[in-house]
Order: sequence, then C-alpha cells, then structure tokens
Amino acid sequence: MAEISEAHDSDSSKLQDSGSEAPQRPESEPDFDPKITRKTKPGLKRLFLTFSVLFSFLLGFPFLWKSVEIYRSPLPFREIDSLSTQLRSDNLLFPLHFHALFVGFDSEPDSLRRSILSAIARLASQNPKCSNNYTLSVTVDLDSRCLRSPTSSPHSSTYQCGSITAADFVQNDDVAVDERLASVFGGKTKEYSVVVVKGGNERAVVGKHRHAWMVVGDGSEVEVAAAKVAELLVKVFINGGREEGSIRNEFMPVGADGKIVLSFNLLNADPRDWAYDRDFEKIDDTLLAPMIEALGPVANISVESQVLYHTPKASFSYWNQKLESYVFSTKDLPFFVNSNEWHLDTSIAAGGRSKILQFAVYVPSAKECPLLLQLLNGEISKTNGFISPMWGGVVVWNPQGCLKDSEFKSGAKNIIPIQDLENMFEVFIGQFRQLFGFKSVNVYAGASGDWNLLPSERGFTEWELDVLSRQHTCFNLHSCATTLGSLSRLVQSLPRMIIMDEIGKQVKFSLEAANLALSNASSRVYESSAASSSKASSLAEDAFFHPSIMSVSYYSFEHCFAVYSPFFLPVSMHVLLAALKELRRYKQEKAKNLAWKAKANSAS
Amino acid sequence: MALLRRPLLVLILIVTYQFLQLWIAVGSVIEEGQKQEEFYEELLLKPLPDRKVLTHFHFQSSAPPTSNGRHHHLFPKAISQLVQKFRVKEMELSFTQGRWNYESWGGFDSIPSSNAKPPGVELWAVFDVPQHLIDALWKNLTHTLSGLFCASINFLESSTAYSAPEWSFPPASGNLRYGTLPREAVCTENLTPWLKLLPCRDKAGISMLLDRPSIYRGFYHSQRLHLISTGSGSEGMDPGIILEQTLTVVLQPNSQRASLDRASEKHIQPSWSLSSIFGKQVSGKCVLAETSNVYLLLDRGLVAELKQLHEENEKSAEKVLTSENFRTNPCFELSAKPDRIFIEESSLLSKNSSVLYKFKVEKYSEFEPFDLGLTWKIPVVWLCRQAPLHASRFLMGSGNERGAIAISLKSTQSSESFMGANSDDERCELRVDVFQVVPWYVKVYFHSLQVFVDQQPKAVSDIIEKIHVSPSKDKVSPGVMELVLKLPCSVSSAALTIEFDKGFLHIDEYPPDANQGFDIPSAIVSFPNFHASMVFLENDSLNKSPLLSKFQEKSHVMSYTEVLLVPLTTPDFSMPYNVITITCTVFALYFGSLLNALRRRVAEEERFLKDKAAKKTGRLPLLLSKLSAKLRGRHSEPPHSPPGPASSSFINSKLVLKVILVAGVAACWQHYFL
Repeated sequence: MAEISEAHDSDSSKLQDSGSEAPQRPESEPDFDPKITRKTKPGLKRLFLTFSVLFSFLLGFPFLWKSVEIYRSPLPFREIDSLSTQLRSDNLLFPLHFHALFVGFDSEPDSLRRSILSAIARLASQNPKCSNNYTLSVTVDLDSRCLRSPTSSPHSSTYQCGSITAADFVQNDDVAVDERLASVFGGKTKEYSVVVVKGGNERAVVGKHRHAWMVVGDGSEVEVAAAKVAELLVKVFINGGREEGSIRNEFMPVGADGKIVLSFNLLNADPRDWAYDRDFEKIDDTLLAPMIEALGPVANISVESQVLYHTPKASFSYWNQKLESYVFSTKDLPFFVNSNEWHLDTSIAAGGRSKILQFAVYVPSAKECPLLLQLLNGEISKTNGFISPMWGGVVVWNPQGCLKDSEFKSGAKNIIPIQDLENMFEVFIGQFRQLFGFKSVNVYAGASGDWNLLPSERGFTEWELDVLSRQHTCFNLHSCATTLGSLSRLVQSLPRMIIMDEIGKQVKFSLEAANLALSNASSRVYESSAASSSKASSLAEDAFFHPSIMSVSYYSFEHCFAVYSPFFLPVSMHVLLAALKELRRYKQEKAKNLAWKAKANSAS
Repeated sequence: MALLRRPLLVLILIVTYQFLQLWIAVGSVIEEGQKQEEFYEELLLKPLPDRKVLTHFHFQSSAPPTSNGRHHHLFPKAISQLVQKFRVKEMELSFTQGRWNYESWGGFDSIPSSNAKPPGVELWAVFDVPQHLIDALWKNLTHTLSGLFCASINFLESSTAYSAPEWSFPPASGNLRYGTLPREAVCTENLTPWLKLLPCRDKAGISMLLDRPSIYRGFYHSQRLHLISTGSGSEGMDPGIILEQTLTVVLQPNSQRASLDRASEKHIQPSWSLSSIFGKQVSGKCVLAETSNVYLLLDRGLVAELKQLHEENEKSAEKVLTSENFRTNPCFELSAKPDRIFIEESSLLSKNSSVLYKFKVEKYSEFEPFDLGLTWKIPVVWLCRQAPLHASRFLMGSGNERGAIAISLKSTQSSESFMGANSDDERCELRVDVFQVVPWYVKVYFHSLQVFVDQQPKAVSDIIEKIHVSPSKDKVSPGVMELVLKLPCSVSSAALTIEFDKGFLHIDEYPPDANQGFDIPSAIVSFPNFHASMVFLENDSLNKSPLLSKFQEKSHVMSYTEVLLVPLTTPDFSMPYNVITITCTVFALYFGSLLNALRRRVAEEERFLKDKAAKKTGRLPLLLSKLSAKLRGRHSEPPHSPPGPASSSFINSKLVLKVILVAGVAACWQHYFL
C-alpha cells in the first residue's frame, strides 16, 4: 500500500519523502553527505499525524476522568466550618435575667445593682464552651413605693410593689413561702428572682421554682447580702450548684438520639439463701413517672426492670468485728460490678444509640450479709451505694436481719418492703441527679454562706431543669459541630468515597436545626432550643454513621489503575515514543537542511 | 356405737378438711397461676437402640398478661421486649448440629417430631400485624435475634432467604415467615446467650449439667427456643408469653464395663450415668423453678422387649418394671430410686406402653448430688417407633446445567400396625404433606413433577390432592412448593421427582467458598393423620409438668429431609480482569501497529536496504551479531569495521532514555502513593 501510494502521490509525499530520496540523486556532487545534509525541507506530515494522535489521547483523558467519577453529594463544607467557628468564637450566649428584690432595706437600688454586678463579674468564670449573657434589675421595696434600677427595664415592671412583706417570711415553713413567692412572681416569666428580707431568723433558701429568698438579721449590712446574692446567681442559678471539675460540665448521660433508658436491676447474689422481688409498678408510678415527665425537654426517658439471680459481686469484703458486718471499701468499687455474671443486657426496646443507665440493687448472699460500704474517712456510707459516671449506680440492700429465712420456699415470693424500696429509689434519684452533675445533698455551701435547696418531688427543680436544658443545648450543639466537622474532614480526605444524597440531606437538616437552636437560645426559648439542638446532634450522628459510608463500594484509585492500566500503559508508550521519535527526526532533518542551506549559501 | 361413730366423724372431718385444703390450694394455684411468672426445668433421658443416650433438657418460663410489662420477676427481659417490639405471636428458633437419625433414633414420638431440626439455623415466626408490615418486622427480628444469639441470622433478612408458606407448615397462617440457614455453624457462643435467658443460667439446677465439651462432642445437638404469646383480651395489656427452651443432645456413653469379657460386651448396652456422660452431677434444683425433675423414658419397643425377656423368666414383667425394688430387676439397675413411675396409657393399637421414671431433684443437695446411673445386666435389642414413611431426598442428573431433586418416601415396617388399623376402610389413604423451599438459582420446572408409587409412575392428579406453588423470582424470592399427597396405605415406596436448571449468579452474589456448592434447605415431610402424643396416667394434677403436657399435645408427626448440596458453575473470579487485560493488549497492539504503519518511510527503508546490499552488511545485522556474540561470551570479530562510536552512543542514549522513562513512571507511582 505504502509503495503504491508512494507511486501515485506526486507532490506532497514526494515533497516529504524527498528528504530520503533526494540524497541519492546528487551522488555526483562530491561534498554532499546525506548523513549530515539534505536539500529539501523535512516533511511535517508524520509529525503532525503522531502529534494529533497524542493530543487526541490527551483530550480523551478528561472524559475518562469524568466517566470514572463517583457520585458525591455536595456537602455544605463552608456552612459546617462556619457553625463550628461560630460556636468556638463564643457566640453561643444564653441570655438570662435576674431580679433582686430587697424588702425592708433602705438603700439606693443603683448602688446595689452595681455592687451585685461587680460581684458577679468577679465570680463568673467563663465556661469555655457556653457562656451566659445576663441582665440584672434591682428593686428596693419600701412598702409604699418601689425604687427600681434600671428604671426602664421591662423585667422589673412585672413586680407589684408591696406584694411581698417581711411578714411572709416569719413562718418557718419553707414550702409555704416558696408557694407564696411563686404566686407573686408567677411561673410565666423566665427570670430568676432573689428576695432579700430584713428581720426574722436568718436563713437562705432556694425554692423549687426560679426564685430564692434570704432572711437577714436586722443589723446586717446590705453589702454582705449583695455578695451572697451574687454568689447565688452565679453558682446556683447559672451553674446549677455544682462544683467545677467534679464531672465534666458539658458531659450529659443522654444518648445521641436524645434517649435514656433507665434499666433497674435487682441482683440476688445467691437465690439459694434468699430471693427478693419488688413491686416495681408502684414505684414506677409514684416516684419515677413525675421525674421522667419533668425531664421531658432534656431527654426522652424510658424505664425497664428485671430481676437477676446468681450474681455475686466481683470484689471481696471483710468481716468487721466492730461493725458486726461485712465491709467493702471505696477502693474495691472498681471491681464491685461483675460484668461476667451480671447480665445487665442492653435493651432490645431501646434504639441503637440510646444511652442506657444501669441502676442495680445488690442483695448480698448470706455469706456476706450485712454488707456495708466504708468511705475513705472510715465512716459507713449512709446510702450504701455508689455511682459510676456514664454507667449508672449501685445500691447494696441488706435483707432484714440477714438471717437465713428457714421458711423460705422456692415458690414463695419475698418482696422488698415498700419503705425500703422507696428509700432505695430516692437514693437512685439522687444518683441520677449526680450523673447529671447535680448535688445529692440539699445544701449548697458557698463561700459567703450556705443556701438550703428545696427539693422537688419531681426530682429536679425548675431552675435545675433550666440549667440542664441550657447545658444540653450547649453540649448537643458542640457535639453536632464536632461530628459534622469530622464528617467533612473524612469526606475531604477520601476523594473517592461515594456520598449518598441522603447524607447530604441529613447534613443540611442538621445544620438547619443547629441554627434554629442557636437562634432559639438567644431568644430564651430553652425547651425548643434543647429539642432542636438534640435533633441537630442526632441528625449529624445519623449522617456520620450512615451505612453507605462504611460500605465496600468505596472505589479506590488502585481499582481504577488496575482496570485501565492494561490499555493505557502500552498504548501511551507507543504514542509517546512515536511522537518523540518523530520530533527528534524532524529536528535532525531540519538541522541537515539548514546545514545544506548554509553550505549552498556559502557555495553561491 | 359412740366409739365407732366418733372415729367416723373424725375421719369425715379430716377428709373434708383435707379436701378443703386441697380445694384452697388448687384455687390459690389457679389464681396465682394467672398472675405469677413461672419457671420449670426438666430433663428427659432415654436410652437409644444404637448404644447412645438421648438427653433432652426442657426449660419453660411463662409470663402472664400484664398491664405493665416493664418488670419481670423471672421471665427474661430480652424476650418480652422482643415480643412487644416485633408483635410476635409465635416464634421458633433452632440451632442444630448433626442430623437426627430417624431410622435408629425413632421418628414418631414427640421428641423427634418437634425437636429434630434441620442442620444449621431454622427460624419461623408468626406476627400479629397486617400483611404489609410483616416483612419489615421480620427483617428487624432477624437482626435482633442475630445480635441476641451471636449468630448470622441476619442473613435471613434478604427476601431470597425466607418464604411465606401458605398452609403446609404446621402453625399454618398467612402471617408466617420461614427461613433456614443450613450452613450456620453452631457452637458455644450460641449456647451462652440461650442460657442467659434462664433465671439460674448454668449456675444451679439441671442446667449445671451443660458441660460444653460433652455437649459438643455429641452426635446430635439441637438447641431450640420456642415462644408463644397468649393474646390478651383487652387493649393496652401486654400479652402473656410462654417461652420454651429445649436442648436435645444425643451422646455416646463411654462403656464402663471394661472388666467384662468382650463377647458379652458387644451385645450389652453400655451403662451410663449422668456424671459419665456429662462429667457433672446435679447438686440440687434451681430454687426459682416450680418443679425440677429428671425423667427416664423406656420407650415402647424396649418395654416390649423387656417383657418378652421376662416371660422367659416367668415373671410378671409389668410388676418388675414398675416395682420399687430396683435392685432385683434382672434387666437393668438404676442407681437412684424413682419418685414416681408413669405408665403410658396404652393405645388401642398396641398392647405395649412406655414407662417413665420420675426423679425429683429437689431432694438432692450439694452434699448429696443427684447422679442417675443405668446399668444394663443383659443384652437387649429393640427398635424405636418410626414415622409411617421414611423420607429422604437426593439429587439426580449430572453436569453443571441441569438436574433433578427426588424425594423418596419408604414405608417403615413398624408402621404396619397403623396401616392395619386404618385398613378397615376400603379407601385407606395416607396423607403426606411436603413443604419444600428452593433458592432462586435452582430453577425448578414445576410441570416436570413426577410421582412414582411402588416404582410405578402415576398421574400427578391421582396422588397429589392439593398443591401450592409460588415460583421463584430471580434475585427476589425463593420458590416454594407445598404438596398434599394421598398415598394408598399399602404403599411400600413413593417418590417425587422434579427437574431444575441451575441458574447463573452475578459475580457479587457468590459466597466466599462458592466451589463448595449451594445448599437447598431441608424439605419438611409431615403426616397430619398421625399424632405423636404420649399420655401418661398421671393423677397428681397439682404437680404439673410442662414436659409431660408437651408429650400429651397432639402434634403432627414431622420429619426433615437431608440438606442437599448443589454444585453450581462457579466462574473463574479473576476472569473479568483477564478479559480486560487481553482486550486491552489487543487494542494496544492495534494502536502500536497502526502508528508504526503511519510513520513508516518506505523509500528510505528501500534506500537503506540498497545500501546494505552494497555494503553487504547493514547496521542492524551487525548489531545483532555483536549482541549474539556478547551473549555467547565470545569475542567475534565483525566482518567489517564497525560503524563506530556514533551508533553505540545512539544506542546508549536510547537505553538511557528508556531507563529514565521507567524510573520516572516508578517515581510518579511512588510519589502518588507514599
């Protein structure tokens, strides 16, 4: 073929190939060397051809790249970043309003306000994650008229002058006073009120609602009272009365889906000695149900209960002659829970990411009864129980008299007396409060004096619930931001990971819920803020743990290379080499031609 | 008279008092029984004809219907939550290792009918929800169970793995789902969660015997969990649940009579005791159990055989077997004295009846453990009761393209008496239900169903009374075949054959060990006319035993066939890559040659050839000769003076270029990945 075309093609191929043919003709010329000179211009046809093949190859690469691309739903990386920077830059402020009412004092409200504010500023240690934005109004009630500061505050106007008098505090019944204050201040406003009254026997009480009162002696100074008020506002109403650093503040035993399962277990160490049952339904109705209802905005709590048998504890206890009982000390506590024998199963009813808190009543066997917990200072624990953060609590209950019941029959049902059971569940509620970081005792010992905390029959008082929901919102928003941040880092670090549309949607909704929570928090709607923050966090978790992220369909570069290399490696070798060779030859021939031209020029 | 009358009065008083007491007791039991949770533990031991021992553990927990099911005193929390969450009406899960030997271990009693299970995992569940919700619940249930029992039950989630039998499966209902995993390995990690459902676990009571090495050394091992929720009348009440956990193990006792001479040892049954077969003893009952009993069952065949032996000895066999004095029993010796002896209520059909010895565990304690031993004194040979037909299943045909499944039913001799009893009727018929699930990749042609009775082909419509077929859909659902056969009573053998094509799976669908073959789950053959029930004359209704009441239940005689292993064509799994490689190589060759052809300069080559002809040797042959000389290690002088350093440098630069290119590619590669 090539030869025929050679014969037929007259000019173009001749012209190009003349480079090869030409040197034959001027054989006669003595100084003509075909190896270094040529008369004609080197042809461009083959060079053009090989390069066009090469370029078409190169042009094909983007199409190939497009064809092996995998589906990635676009994630709002920028919004995620902005959310986390917004949270980090301390923009999550919970506005709080305090109202201090001084009854029977004769002093300037402005100066009082200033001194309280300065005391607050001294005390308030800024939480690194969530801070509060507070306003304060001070009212001095002079029976007939009120002095307010600031005068134009919208909050202080709700209080009717003269509705609280010193006579209200004469009685020692704190609950009645609490109810009286509740009726005065009303439950609607979300402000925290402190009433300072002069006269009567001194006491300081924090009520079940959002107010506290303090009765001071006649001779006491107003400055001392102001300092105490400031401490109350900061340490109790803002921080929930807990010590800094006892349990990490933002730590909440709430599952990622906003659920808690309270699993109550009754562990009979050895049913051959005795086996006890309890009337759980009654306790559930009377003690647990109000608490669960109260905690509704923070967590969705469900309760379950079981009795287990043959569950010895894993630690040892020693006979103490003086106490006439078996004693286990605080250093044995890490080994008390016997995870081999205590089958405190995870719940089937609970969803995958619910938090399960185990509360176990341990009924010791006859060999180790009565069993008491000795504290570090050598005293015997009153509750005879302990908590394990994020796991739950254990209470040891010793049966009456610890005598082996000779009349114990297998069929007979021994039931824990209802009084003991109520005590036990009160301990559990205390432990539950401790797991949330609150104190189990009813006294707050501050630097400037003690405050009695009035316990609520619902387990948690209103101001405690406020603290919890603020903290919950804060914790959820931060965990949401962290999860989304991790997701975005993961997605960005694995460029060949498939991302489904669903993940994109979940991330979008999670961001929307987080922003809603932020805006609700700043407008003091704590409940809905807590709800949307938990929604945000759970959606973020959903997106992060979406099954498709874990799937095998992660299509790696190695696969791509293995599939395409058998074609592209040899072909690109050919194409590149051909292009290189042609280029080199063209240069060579051009140089020859130039040499010939120069020679011809010099000759002529 | 007064003297006479007074004792009578006293007697009447005593009798009425006792009656009252009894009545009160009964009343209280009934009242309590409705409210309280109960737990029973029982163990049945039965010598088998082939020198083995059947041990059958039966645990039953029951929870009454309550308004608040959040607290359970004995009943496992996990199961009650499972029932509530998935609205399970009835469920059975079994883990089995080994195959029940129907021929020698019997196929008629209630133990083989309800506890002989196909190898691997079998799960069926009936749901109490509308039809369209069932599949979703089933999927969730399989996942939960797989977590609960540490097994891969979640593979039953895929719609190709389960089926919905219409009527042939015994608790026939439209809300039933049935699935099996024949290849699931069963081991101690499945037993431990199963034991966790018992209130005493294996810490006390009969379950202390469950020594893992002894159990898993057995010939057959089936661990079963059956629960039935007794629906409550009113709304808002949680249903009551009866959970039945059984463990059936067939063990080979080690012969204890090493001292005896071998000739007699060969025929005599091996003697055993609980401690010799399990290596453990029972030290007292589980205190939470209502009753804790061990039973020893001598089945009909054995009793008949013993009677026959006794007749030779001219003694009343009945008396000997049931007498309390076991030391004088000439056939065997029991190491413990039974508390009660039950004799089966003899049916009309046979004069023989089984004997059941009951031992109460509560009498024993840690210091005096219970260890039942059975020592045979004379050789005995007997047969267990067989199901009317022995079912087996096999594959026919060869090659990787098509084959046929055959289910063969052979009459067992022992069932002749039943046939005889029914043969008064002119048209005596034996009803057989067959339920068969076939995976979708075994494409069954239902029209090719053939029936053979006594080796004679019969018209399908003559034998098959009812048929329900749901054909398989590729990658969606398995094929289900439900048949009701009416066979004449005099049948000695029957066979069903059905042809199939082997399908092709997508490369992703093959399991890791595809060359091993694919399992077709066991077919279920049941005989609805025959009921496996043993009624024992029992007059103490107070002391109720779930095991005995289970025996009294009239359940269908059922048997499972073998699991079939179908070899499918398995592809060479590297084939796609090979195809890619060879296609690409062809393409690359084409491209290379095309480029070469395009770049070719024919005239120049001709000139070179002419040059070569003129010089006699070209450059290339010269190079070749040089190369060959180098390879040979000989220094051969070229015929002409070499072209010189120009060509060698040219070669060198080319070589260097290539080396650089390869090195560059390698460096890029390295850079990209490291």
